Amino acid sequence: MKGYLKLFSLLALMLMLAACGKSGSTTSNNSAASDEKTVIEYWHVNAETQGGKTVEELVKAFNEQSKTTKVVAKYNPDMYKGLMQNLQAEAASGKSPAVVQVGWSFLDYFSNNFSYISPQEVIDQHFPDDRTFLKDHFLDNVLELAQNSEGIQVGIPYSLSTPVLYINKDLLKEAGLDENGPKTWQEVKEFSKKIKEKTGKHGFYMQEPADNWATQALLESNGARMLSGKKAAFASKEGIEAYQLLADMIVKDKTALHLPWDQGVQSFIDGNVAMAYTTIARRSQIQDNAKFNAAAIKSPAWEGKNVRLPAGGAMLAITAQEEKQQKAAWEFMKYLYSVESMAKWTEGTGYVPPRKDVAEDENGLKDFLAENEMMKAAIEQMDGVVSWTSFPGDAGLEAEQKLLDIRDEILGGKTSVEEGLKTTEKEINKLLK
Amino acid sequence: MQAAKPAKIKFTADHWKAYGLLIPSLIIFILFMFWPFMYTIYLSFFDWNMVKPTKEFVGLQNYKEVLTDPTTYKVFGNTLLYIGLLLIINLIIPYILAFVLDIVLKRFNHLYKGAIFLPSVISLVVGSILFTWLLNPVSGPAAIILGWFGIDMPIWSKLDGWVIVVLSLITSWKVFGYNFIVLYASVNGISREVIEAARLDGVPLWKIFFHLVLPMSSATGIYVFIITIVQGLQYVFTPIKVITQGGPNYASSNAIYHAYHEAFVLYRTGHSAALSILTMAIFILLLILEFKFVERGIHYEN
Repeated sequence: MKGYLKLFSLLALMLMLAACGKSGSTTSNNSAASDEKTVIEYWHVNAETQGGKTVEELVKAFNEQSKTTKVVAKYNPDMYKGLMQNLQAEAASGKSPAVVQVGWSFLDYFSNNFSYISPQEVIDQHFPDDRTFLKDHFLDNVLELAQNSEGIQVGIPYSLSTPVLYINKDLLKEAGLDENGPKTWQEVKEFSKKIKEKTGKHGFYMQEPADNWATQALLESNGARMLSGKKAAFASKEGIEAYQLLADMIVKDKTALHLPWDQGVQSFIDGNVAMAYTTIARRSQIQDNAKFNAAAIKSPAWEGKNVRLPAGGAMLAITAQEEKQQKAAWEFMKYLYSVESMAKWTEGTGYVPPRKDVAEDENGLKDFLAENEMMKAAIEQMDGVVSWTSFPGDAGLEAEQKLLDIRDEILGGKTSVEEGLKTTEKEINKLLK
Repeated sequence: MQAAKPAKIKFTADHWKAYGLLIPSLIIFILFMFWPFMYTIYLSFFDWNMVKPTKEFVGLQNYKEVLTDPTTYKVFGNTLLYIGLLLIINLIIPYILAFVLDIVLKRFNHLYKGAIFLPSVISLVVGSILFTWLLNPVSGPAAIILGWFGIDMPIWSKLDGWVIVVLSLITSWKVFGYNFIVLYASVNGISREVIEAARLDGVPLWKIFFHLVLPMSSATGIYVFIITIVQGLQYVFTPIKVITQGGPNYASSNAIYHAYHEAFVLYRTGHSAALSILTMAIFILLLILEFKFVERGIHYEN
């Protein structure tokens, strides 16, 4: 009996899926019939769980209202790197989509290796009314994020994220600490120690994905710079001091964790780590799964210094080659940057809106922010946002990798911070020459 | 009669049929094996990042770089360690298990067979994600259980050595079942009379295994031996990619993952191609050794 039921439900599910597939294909046939429309491709990295649905909604809404353009959204797996790889394959075969998402860390790589057109150029050529669109709606430090090392505006910031400190208020309270969390990195260290002493749980985890995003926030907030001119400069006094704090927490005090990203965030959600320093883009995961009183607070600063937080996420760039396609690309982008679309994007993904007027607007995020305390921390620290350093030139990715390799050495307790950073800086500068 | 004049072979209808049947697989082989292989050799002499329109010819520079890079040796060392571990987990243990299930145990055999084979059908990506959670050293179920006994689980994903052991275990989740079934079939195919006779004579089990079962199933044994090494190394790729990305500091990378890393993360196509060719050369050497020394002692029934 049960077996039948299973079989039946499986069949029903298959039928439903088939039906969905059918309806999807017929609609696309219909709109393709009106062939005066320019068809352009939009490449994104947003899987179903990471805002993919919002992409679909936005594209659908755009197609319904546009008389001249039809957008086809194409999902690229494996995030921005995956998209770059596909774009390489596409470029090799002589084709290109019209609008692509380019991750910040690929900014220089993209502008050195692909043929693109600056959005402002398209605007100047075809849309005189929009001439001041970018200046009017974006903060200068935000627009700068999408400029390459030569100062060319490669694209427009679209998905923005910054690192925030997630805290487990219950654990902080249990350890007798201020439940509003630490304000400075020095406090983070002290908090972490207390938590370990009082509760036996770990105090702190800083994200360790295959990039140096969070490391940059830690070092640059203390006054160090990843790059100075075209040379690596992170092994300065301030850089070493900042890294030392993290290494001490892990290696000496053993109050912080040295784990891959997923396991680290998991441990925070399980309530085994009291504070986690990671991207605001993880907000919904943490909000939905944590069973304790979780909050997000602004990135800790170094005492007496201003924070410098690298922006994560992506910009939109125009890779269309023909004029007609370029025009269509801007029409679509302008739609995406409208207050309403931006608000939808933030709600669907957890990214911070790059446009300055979205947060307060009635049609924008006003109501949403009233309910989502966690998002506030990320929006409030927008003035501290700087661009995510990508090492220049062909060897940039290799340089980035070197810094990752030394992270494992240092946090694994195999090399001292000073020696590790100094030799790595030398190696990287040799590469960049 | 024809054998007397081997120089002149006439193409009969049978020949044509045979070649006709060969062609589909030949095409696939050429398209997906030989052509990429040739292209890899070609690429290993160039400096290229997959996008630039021009490839710069650098001669043997890539090989020089690979051979002077300490990471290369670390990675090859890891590869050996992986091979050793995979052979223990996926050849020796299933061999013994097959023997035990077939000859020693008499009850619940079907249940064991099914249970052991089952994980092989599940995707390794899913498996890797599952194990990341199960083996989370701080808050995973395994860590909690160890905690009851007062043992702290080592943070395996960041420790040299440990990370290779755990990744091998995760991989074997996928490989073990298949190897087991193949070995079981082979052990099962050994004539019962021989084994029963030995048992009647009171020969101890370990002697039956080493002197009867092992030699008589050695043809399959050698197949599983090779498949374990070659396929195992490729399977390990998945958990490496999902869990550690080769880290900490290449401690979990193997030759295959490292070639991928160089080509598709750092876009150093030439370096990666040179590494792949060197790996290939080492494997060819191993195969020649295998044919020379091991193959001789193998017993083929037909």
